[in-house]
Amino acid sequence: MRALILILPALVLTGCERAPMVIFADSSITLPDDPLDLPPGAGVDAVIANCTACHSPSTMLQQPRLSREQWLATVTKMREVYKAPINEPDIPLIVDYLAAVQQGTEGQAER
Amino acid sequence: MSKARFTRRALLAGAGAGGLGAAFAAPLLGEKLIDLGLPGGPSLRPLGPAFPGKGEMIVQRIRPPLLETPLKALGESVITPTERFFVRWNWDFPTAINVANYRVAVGGAVRQPVELTLDEIVSAGEHVEVVAVNQCAGNGRGLSTPRVTGTQWGNGAMGCARWTGVRLKDVLAKAGIAPGAKRVRFAGLDVPPMEGAPQFIKSVPIDIALRDDVLVAWGMNGEPLPMMHGFPLRIVVPGWFSTYWVKMLATIEVLSGEDDGYYVAKSYRMPAQPITPDEKDFPTVSITAMPPRALITSHADGETVRRGAPLTLRGIALGGDAALARVDLVGEGFELPCTLVGPDEGPYALRLWEVTIPEGTQSLANIGVRAANVRGAVQPDTLFWNPSGYARNVIERITLRLA
Repeated sequence: MRALILILPALVLTGCERAPMVIFADSSITLPDDPLDLPPGAGVDAVIANCTACHSPSTMLQQPRLSREQWLATVTKMREVYKAPINEPDIPLIVDYLAAVQQGTEGQAER
Repeated sequence: MSKARFTRRALLAGAGAGGLGAAFAAPLLGEKLIDLGLPGGPSLRPLGPAFPGKGEMIVQRIRPPLLETPLKALGESVITPTERFFVRWNWDFPTAINVANYRVAVGGAVRQPVELTLDEIVSAGEHVEVVAVNQCAGNGRGLSTPRVTGTQWGNGAMGCARWTGVRLKDVLAKAGIAPGAKRVRFAGLDVPPMEGAPQFIKSVPIDIALRDDVLVAWGMNGEPLPMMHGFPLRIVVPGWFSTYWVKMLATIEVLSGEDDGYYVAKSYRMPAQPITPDEKDFPTVSITAMPPRALITSHADGETVRRGAPLTLRGIALGGDAALARVDLVGEGFELPCTLVGPDEGPYALRLWEVTIPEGTQSLANIGVRAANVRGAVQPDTLFWNPSGYARNVIERITLRLA
């Protein structure tokens, strides 16, 4: 068994004797629409305006339940690290919306 | 975990007051949902919309795409079909590639910077094939307790494919590595939309870059890489987490010092030593090589099995950065060795295993599988909790009911 294990890497790495032809062709795809569905609520417009240029709403909606402070830390990271062009007055609106919308989601958070 | 309960009822419930986060991300009435069993939720995810070239996938995010493989599909074969292979992009990526104009720039600490065409890459050296697991560093993050932020993956952010390409070291030789090279950094065509945001660039130490099995790959399971998987070229680092397997490879840069880029110096890091969830300001290390893992894929948590009959469980395992040595079923007060079955595609591939529990002898509560690799790494019984949920490899347990 041990011998087998030692031999295998050599086997899988054995290259082809003569490199086969590799042909590349132009390629394109159409990705599905991103419908930007967010539950209604105060601040939803601020979330759509400030957050969804970079990512779908599911990124936010699928997080475990977070405190207002944790949401603020996340929004701040998006603004400072990932350069999300979030208008400063919108920050409390976004944080309040995300904290509130989680109150209506399934399940309980553990922290 | 990964209770594959398809529930239309849950979706409809989500249309009422309050609602389900996942339901709003899945607006099509009647679209199937899957329950990932994430502690505390939200746990339901849509199995749509469809993506080009992909079969049924758990859609964690539409843009940039985050697609997870259902566990049952992962357990069907050593080679994960490309159409079921997980997809993870940090930033948007081009949806059209012109191959005649495509160039890979090789620069930095090199003798002569070069820009290589695809044909020049293909003819840079011997063609090499390796079967290797590609696993997201955050695979299983959604199962962390306490929960952590980030993409809330179940355990399906992994797959195993046959990768074909040339050795990275042969491509580097076209430029010639200058003395004193420390790392090799890769950038793809996925770039952030906002000025000043960090580009997703990743580097590996020079000794890893020069390994015989680290590739600039164009082939995935015998076909050209699909766009979703990084057409036309991606890096392959067998045994290391997929964060290093940069897709739509555009730049190879030899560094003569440390990498101070965001995604190496600040992100994709975990505590150097175990910490408690309350700790702050601890030293961190980059997540790099994968530890061993095993998963039961034949049965989901909470499933009912027949009383008074032998029970055969099946699943997958990987050794991580060394070959798998063994897999054991562990239950409350008993252990059983599992049999490795199916093809052995080398040290970095998935292995399939099976085990039969004799009738009526054991409790089926909290049963799990524990993988060990030939270097002696064994899956731990308790989670090495970390604030980003990286490199999860705690023994995954399920409870089956008798009926």
